[in-house]
Amino acid sequence: MGYHRPMKRQIAIVEDEPALRENYGAALARQGYQIKTYGNRKSAMGAFETHLPDLAIIDISLEEEAEGGFDLCRDLRALSAEIPIIFLTARDSELDAVSGLRLGADDFLTKDVSLPHLAARVAALFRRIDALRRPDNSAQIVRRGALSIDGEKMQTAWNGAPVTLSLTEFWIVHALARNPGHVKNRQQLMDAANVVLDDNTITSHIKRVRRKFQQVDPAFDAIQTVYGMGYRWVE
Amino acid sequence: MSIRLQLLIIALTTLVLPWAGCQYARELESTLRVSQENSLQAAAQTIANALSAQSQRVFSAVDGEQPFDGAQGDLYLFPLIAQPLLDGYREDWDLDVEPTALRADGLTGRVQAGVTEHYLMLYVEVDDAHFEAEPGEVSPEQDSFDRVNVAWQRSDGSLDSVFFATSAPGLIQAQRVEGTVETGERVVVEPRIQAFWLQTSRGYHVEARIPRSMVGSRLWIEAVDGQSRRTAGFMGADPPRGGRLITPTPGLGPLLSTFIGAGTQATVVDANALKLGSAGSVVLNKDDPDGAEGSWYRRFVAGDTSRWPVRLSAPDHMEGHSVASAIAGRPSAEWLRAGANGSALLSAAAPIIVDERIHGAVVLEQGGDQLIDLRDRALTHLFNLTLLATALAVAIAFGIATWISVRIDRLRLAADTAVTNDGRIRLDMPESRRTDEIGALSRGFERLLARLNEHTQYLRTLGGKLSHELRTPLTIVRSSLDNLESEGLRADQQGYVRRAREGASRLQSILSALGAASRVEESIKQAERVSFDLKELMQSAIEGYRDGFPAARIELTTPTDTCFMHGAPDLVVQMLDKLIDNAVDFCTPSGTIRVGLTRSSTRYEITVDNDGPPIPEDMLNRLFESLFEHRQGGDDKPHFGLGLYIVRLIAEFHGGSAAAANRSDGGGAVFTVTLPMI
Repeated sequence: MGYHRPMKRQIAIVEDEPALRENYGAALARQGYQIKTYGNRKSAMGAFETHLPDLAIIDISLEEEAEGGFDLCRDLRALSAEIPIIFLTARDSELDAVSGLRLGADDFLTKDVSLPHLAARVAALFRRIDALRRPDNSAQIVRRGALSIDGEKMQTAWNGAPVTLSLTEFWIVHALARNPGHVKNRQQLMDAANVVLDDNTITSHIKRVRRKFQQVDPAFDAIQTVYGMGYRWVE
Repeated sequence: MSIRLQLLIIALTTLVLPWAGCQYARELESTLRVSQENSLQAAAQTIANALSAQSQRVFSAVDGEQPFDGAQGDLYLFPLIAQPLLDGYREDWDLDVEPTALRADGLTGRVQAGVTEHYLMLYVEVDDAHFEAEPGEVSPEQDSFDRVNVAWQRSDGSLDSVFFATSAPGLIQAQRVEGTVETGERVVVEPRIQAFWLQTSRGYHVEARIPRSMVGSRLWIEAVDGQSRRTAGFMGADPPRGGRLITPTPGLGPLLSTFIGAGTQATVVDANALKLGSAGSVVLNKDDPDGAEGSWYRRFVAGDTSRWPVRLSAPDHMEGHSVASAIAGRPSAEWLRAGANGSALLSAAAPIIVDERIHGAVVLEQGGDQLIDLRDRALTHLFNLTLLATALAVAIAFGIATWISVRIDRLRLAADTAVTNDGRIRLDMPESRRTDEIGALSRGFERLLARLNEHTQYLRTLGGKLSHELRTPLTIVRSSLDNLESEGLRADQQGYVRRAREGASRLQSILSALGAASRVEESIKQAERVSFDLKELMQSAIEGYRDGFPAARIELTTPTDTCFMHGAPDLVVQMLDKLIDNAVDFCTPSGTIRVGLTRSSTRYEITVDNDGPPIPEDMLNRLFESLFEHRQGGDDKPHFGLGLYIVRLIAEFHGGSAAAANRSDGGGAVFTVTLPMI
């Protein structure tokens, strides 16, 4: 292999609430990651400029800057195109704002997420990094009509065109497309996505997923709402 | 009491104006009366003074030393206007006074005397049913016939006498006894004295005519019944007593008439109140020629005249306080009622004093009508003006009151409806641009409503804010618990952590419920409208609810064909969620939830009808307000009264409305959501 894999992956947590910072840090450290925590954008960016972490978890509002996390994300993305970034938000409504900004984050989570779930998705993102660095393995690709899903790299494509989904969105699409025609209710989708969300948030996730597919194919309507029950993938 | 009524009553107090007018008119009238009294009394005094200067012309025929005494045979000679016919009747004397009684001495009779320019008239009525005729040859000794003896004093003081008797009723002449007892008496006819003897069923009348010049100042009359020799009347005595003739003074009338004007009657009486002469006449109240109007007003203002004495009129004498007072020496005036309708009459009297002795009095009488006319005219004017003013005041007051109460009503209505059924607050009030107190009140309302609105807004967003603010500390707690668990705990410690986790997750669901409304508001803002089949959506959703609430019986009725509408299907489902949630909570265990979809020309109506207890009437309209909760009894889920509020928000987003009602049978509640098709 052409690269040196460090002993411990380094995760940067940028969170202005010290208690949360410490809790997230402790939980992830227990998973064997090296943790660096920062309380504001300035200190985090200063550290990133000298040394890039392997993954960043960023709170959107940082001290006085209500959307300091967005700026930090943009700056960090400028430093590295590959580094996985997870947004943590306190408000559901920010999820939509985040999607509109297309800042290149890999996942958006509300702070309701439990630590095991957080750990699961950190692990998933590292796995994807690893998969991306490996040569193509088309055996992992699932095809459902125009849709192709790469379970290893956690990438989707529609009619061959890549559709960039966040991790949560990818897991939702994955859960739906695995059994086309079967209705997945909200709870099943939440379980699949390793999140605890309320109904509205699931609805807005689905809405966002549809929008992303429609950007590739305006005629996309493979995700069907079964009112009162949930959603299903139709081919 | 309404403002209108209050101001009306205030305005009616202007009726005090006509009342004050009446008082004023009354005062005016009494002042006028007093001045009329004074002037009439002054006139009477003037006339009295003038007359006392020529007392010979006034009292020439009167011996006023003794009071008039009909019982002594004093006779008043009524002035007769026309010469009566000698016919035994006194009707043509034109006097409305009855004859006076003769002194009875076994026989009764009545007498009346009158005077014309040349004659003294006598009228004698005798109650003597048995007529004894005069024989052809009479001698006084053997007289047993009915007769009337008349004796008088001549002007020179000597006595004279005649008698009236007849063999047959009719025109007769008086007879006189001539000669003395010594020389032999004989009866001769006195041709200058004529009479008429009239026989009636009760007796007879004698109407006699004696030349004025024959009689002096005294005269006696005696009726004799021929058979019984009983008599009635008086015969002369020596020295002469009684039988005085009281005569109106000739020429006094014309003299008096020079003193008085029209409408006044002047009368001179002697010390016995017998009339000596009069002039002029009183004009009494003509019977209201100007109609009922005058008398209508008069009813309100007329002084009380019922206490006034009635004017007593007699042709021969005058009565009354003023006359009596004047004869006693004090000039006096009084108001009397006279005539059939009690018209006012002023009587003023002044004594005529000659040589410090009261000889008689002048009495002036005048109608009070001029006063009433004057008063009525002023009063009618006053009444018309004040009534007009009152009517105007009442109308203006009523108008203003109506205007004010309409404005207040408008304000009240606006205040009543400022908080709409769905809990929204209308901030604009009517009348707020006015500068008066009502405008100030309206602005006060506006400020109050603005404050209320701020407060309501605060309450409405409080849930969302709380939910947001509490989320971070809750996350700290949960993440700490996660960490704690990962550290590896002893079995006894795990119980605490589990409980802490349960508490945290309950807190989480409370926060989530609290923030639900603001999340819905948020998602409404971003909702996109698409065309969808409402029927299919409902069928699918109800299917889901049957799975979700296996214990509940949910029935759905829809039109047979598709029901397309333009809207946000996600939101409509969310709305159905809340409606079904609500229905399930209130439905009785064995009850049914009936969901219906009906279609009219432009809109759909979704009804959710559940068996269960009715909703209290006063809560029906408030159910859709934010944070309104009337739920009793508990389940685990936190409730913040947001479910139906969300229903309303979604219905209104679609341009529709939501309402709740109790079923007419009282066995359940019906929630109705109306959604326009487009």
